[in-house]
Amino acid sequence: MASVSVEAVRKRYGALEVIHGIDIKIPDGEFVVLVGPSGCGKSTLLRMIAGLEEISGGVVRIGDKVVNEVPSKDRDIAMVFQNYALYPHMTVRENMGFSLKLRKAERGVIAERVKKASQILGLDPYLERYPKQLSGGQRQRVAMGRAIVRNPQVFLFDEPLSNLDAKLRVQMRTEIKALHQQLKTTSIYVTHDQIEAMTMADRIVVMHDGIVEQIGSPLELYEQPANLFVAGFIGSPAINLIHGKLRRDGTRNWVATDAGVDLPLDGNAAGQDGQPVVYGIRPEHLAPSDSSGLPVTVSVVEPTGASTFVYADLSGAQICGVFAEHHGIHPGNRMNFMPRLDRVHLFDAGTGKRLAG
Amino acid sequence: MSPRKAFDEARLMLVGVLILIWTLIPIYHLFVMSITPQAEAFAGAVWPKSPTLDNYTTVLTQGHYFLGHFWQQLFNSAMVAVAVAVLTLTVGACASFAISRLRVRIGETVSNLALLTYLIPAAFLAIPMYATMGQYGLLGSRWSLILTMVTFASPYAIWMLRQYADKLPYELDEAARIDGASPIQIFWLIYLPLMMPSMVAIGTYALLLAWNEYLYAFLLLSADTEITLSVALGHFLSTDDAPWNLLMATGIIYALPPAAIYYAFRRYMVAGLTAGAVKS
Repeated sequence: MASVSVEAVRKRYGALEVIHGIDIKIPDGEFVVLVGPSGCGKSTLLRMIAGLEEISGGVVRIGDKVVNEVPSKDRDIAMVFQNYALYPHMTVRENMGFSLKLRKAERGVIAERVKKASQILGLDPYLERYPKQLSGGQRQRVAMGRAIVRNPQVFLFDEPLSNLDAKLRVQMRTEIKALHQQLKTTSIYVTHDQIEAMTMADRIVVMHDGIVEQIGSPLELYEQPANLFVAGFIGSPAINLIHGKLRRDGTRNWVATDAGVDLPLDGNAAGQDGQPVVYGIRPEHLAPSDSSGLPVTVSVVEPTGASTFVYADLSGAQICGVFAEHHGIHPGNRMNFMPRLDRVHLFDAGTGKRLAG
Repeated sequence: MSPRKAFDEARLMLVGVLILIWTLIPIYHLFVMSITPQAEAFAGAVWPKSPTLDNYTTVLTQGHYFLGHFWQQLFNSAMVAVAVAVLTLTVGACASFAISRLRVRIGETVSNLALLTYLIPAAFLAIPMYATMGQYGLLGSRWSLILTMVTFASPYAIWMLRQYADKLPYELDEAARIDGASPIQIFWLIYLPLMMPSMVAIGTYALLLAWNEYLYAFLLLSADTEITLSVALGHFLSTDDAPWNLLMATGIIYALPPAAIYYAFRRYMVAGLTAGAVKS
C-alpha cells in the first residue's frame, strides 16, 4: 500500500488544455472519490495516475516514487473499468490469475491467491466459467477479483458501477466499501454520481472543467460547500439558490430578492450591506409553516414514500422543499417554507465563493 | 398459406432452381467427362455408355505425358497456398495490431494505402512483378509466386483484420497493460486468441487465392517440377488432341481441396465476408 500524490498536474491535447494544474494528496489507505460532471477531467486524471495517458505537466507520485515516466505495468496498481474489460477467452480463474502469471508467479501461489480472492467476492462456484456466462454483477466482481489478487499499492476504479442496474449498484457500492475496510488499500474511485461519492468516500474531490473545486469529507462538502458549484453538485434534490442583495440594519440581517421577498438570515452572517449574494438553502432544511417564512405557491408535489418533495413558486423563483411528512399539501396551495437559519449558505454573486460566517 | 403467398413462393423457387441448374451444369459436365473413356469423349452423351474410373487411375499414377509430375505439381500448389496463407496472416496480424492496438502514428495512412492498391488490377502489375522477380533472381522459383501472391493478398488482409481489430474493446489492452503485459504479450495472449475467427477467414481467403492463381504462376514458373497444378492443367491445351477426359479428372481433383476448405470453414467465411463490411 502507498500514498498517492498529484502535484500541479496538467493535461494538454495539442493546444487544448483539459486539466489545469491539480493538486491532491492521498494518504496511505484512504478511499478518495473523484466526482464531477462529464467532461470535468476526472477520468483523464485517473488514467494519468494509471499510466494510460501521458502527463503533460506536473508530477504524480505513488509512495515516494515519481511515476510520470513509469509504464503502467510497473506502477503496481490495479484498475477496474466501467465495462469490466474481462478477457473473453479466459475463464474467471484465468482472468483473475493473469497478472500473476505474467509476473511468473508459481502455480501454487496463483491458485492460492485466486482462491482467497474468489472467497472474499463469493466467486467460488464460477471459477471455471467464461465472462459471457456471468451476469453483470458477477462480471464486476471478477474485475475486482482481478484487481485484488495482485495485492497492489493502489486500486483505481473508473465508474465501475455505471453499467449495473440501480438495485445492483447500491449493493455493489456497499460491497466495495466493505472490501476497502477489509483490505485497506489506497483507492481512487471516479464517478459522476454524487450519491456514490457521498456514501463511499473518506474524502471527495469535486472537479469541474479541469480544476478542483473542493476537497473534503462528504459531510464537509455538504455542510460547508466552498462555492456555488459544489453547493449545487452535492445533494439531491439540488440546493435552492436565490439571487438577491445582502441587507443589514444593525439589529438583523436578511437577503432582499429583486422580486421583493426578504430571505431571513441569522445574526452572524458575513458580508457587507448591499453586496449582491446568492442565498442557498437545501430542500431538506426547509420546514412547512402556516405563518412565518417564505410565502410560496405549491406547483408540484412528489411523494416518494419516505419523504415528500414539494416544488413551489417564490415570487418567480422555483424552490423545492423536502418534508418527512406529506402534510396534505396539494398543487395550488399557498403556504410558507421556513428555512433553518443555521443551515443557510451565502455565496458572493460575483465570484461564487462562500462568504465566511 | 394463402394462394397469393404460395404463388410468390413458387416463383422464387423457380428462379432458385434455374440458378442451381445454371451453376451445376458445368460441374456436371466436368464430372461426366472425367468418367468417360477416351473413345467416347466427344459422343455428346448426357451419361457415358461405359462409365469408368480409369481416368482417375491414370492421373493418380501419373500415366500420361501431361501428368508426368502430377504429384509434384499438386504438392507445389499446396505448398504455395499454405506458404501464402501463413505469410499473409503474419503480415496482416502484425500490421493490424500495430494500426489498431498500438495506434502507431501513420497507421491510418498505411491502412488507406492498402485499400488503394485495390484500384490497380493485378494483371497490370504482371510485367513489373516479372521484372522485379528477375532482379531478385527468383524467376522460376516457387518463392517468386509465393512473394507475389502475398503482395496481392496482404492489403486485403490488413484492411479486413484492422476492421475486426477495431471492434475489440481497447480497454482489454489497457487492462492487460495494467496487469503487467508488454506489447508482445498482449499480441500473443490477448490479441491473437481473440482474432482467431477472423484469422481463419482471412487465412482461407489467402489460401484459396494462391491455390486458384493461374496468371502469375504461368508467368513466373517454368520448369515442370516447379509449376503449380493450375499451370499444368493449362498445358493440356497446348496440343490439338488434348486428352479432355484426363484434364477433367485432374480438374475435379484440383477442385476438391478448396471445396473441402470452404465446407470446413464456411461458418468463418460467411462471418468474415459480412462482418468487416459494416463498421459498427
